[in-house]
Amino acid sequence: MKLTPIFAASMLALGLAAPASASEGERIQITGEIIDTWCYFSGVMGGPDAVVGSAHHTCALWCSAGGIPVGLLGEDGEVYMVLKIEGDDQNASGDTNLNLASHEITADGMLYKRDGLNYLVVEKVVTDHGITNLNHEDYGVVPGFAIPEPKK
Amino acid sequence: MIKPVLALLALCSPALADQSPLPFDLGGAFELVDQTGTARTQADPQGHPQLLFFGYANCREICSAALPMMAQVADAVAEQGITVTPVMITVDPARDTVDNLGPALAQHHEDFIGLTGTAAQLQVAYDAYQIETEEVFTDPEYGPVYAHGSFLYLLDAQGKLLTLVPPVITPEAAAGIVAKYTQGQS
Repeated sequence: MKLTPIFAASMLALGLAAPASASEGERIQITGEIIDTWCYFSGVMGGPDAVVGSAHHTCALWCSAGGIPVGLLGEDGEVYMVLKIEGDDQNASGDTNLNLASHEITADGMLYKRDGLNYLVVEKVVTDHGITNLNHEDYGVVPGFAIPEPKK
Repeated sequence: MIKPVLALLALCSPALADQSPLPFDLGGAFELVDQTGTARTQADPQGHPQLLFFGYANCREICSAALPMMAQVADAVAEQGITVTPVMITVDPARDTVDNLGPALAQHHEDFIGLTGTAAQLQVAYDAYQIETEEVFTDPEYGPVYAHGSFLYLLDAQGKLLTLVPPVITPEAAAGIVAKYTQGQS
């Protein structure tokens, strides 16, 4: 059955199930860095170039462990909020998320666009390139207090 | 014939129609206790949409960002005539007791509702939203630190999930999402 635009819109208004379409999610393969979304979006710890990569790795671990959702900063400059990632049943703090913090990965999964945001369910980490953005050479540790001073 | 179609189209906001559905089935019934000791379910007794978060009052991590953001969102949409109730379900019932929840959450917003309950009651709510919690370490100053799901959930007055709100976007952006779904509901 071919749906007319009006009929399709009516079905959506009623909450009726529509046939599978692009609006239900799109399979993509994307390469980018697993980032700490709080520090990236808030800017409280520094500019976007400083709160990624090796400079921000320690803080990214703390943030993920504390429940902050991770994102994938794609090569297209878009941030994809990771809802789930292969091997973890949480959007933060799982072992996979912690192991991949600051890593550049190629991910295969489903993209959902909602409310102007990108949500990604990573079904497979195709390639883990490791930490490739060695920006600690430029920025040091961001923020410096991410590595606590040992108590005397 | 044309009138019903137009009415249906009017119900179907273009902003809501042109997007993906949630990729999982979240939400459901629960029965907990608020900071006054009153039983409360997933439905808002006042008939308002709700912004729901799972966390704990003593949290120094994501909750310290999410709870103030929820308050800011509630205030921002109130200026548009929309009343949204901020609700936190605790993942730390040992410390978030009926007596402790109220003062801690009132620091963020006077309308904040804190919910706790027995382990079994809380697990029902966690299961409904696929919330996993885990004690990850103990802060020598502030006590146990828990990892937990951290998205905000926008519910309608009956407690049905409308959409997710990441806790990392600006309060203005979050308020825009909330308003889009709740205009005319409160």
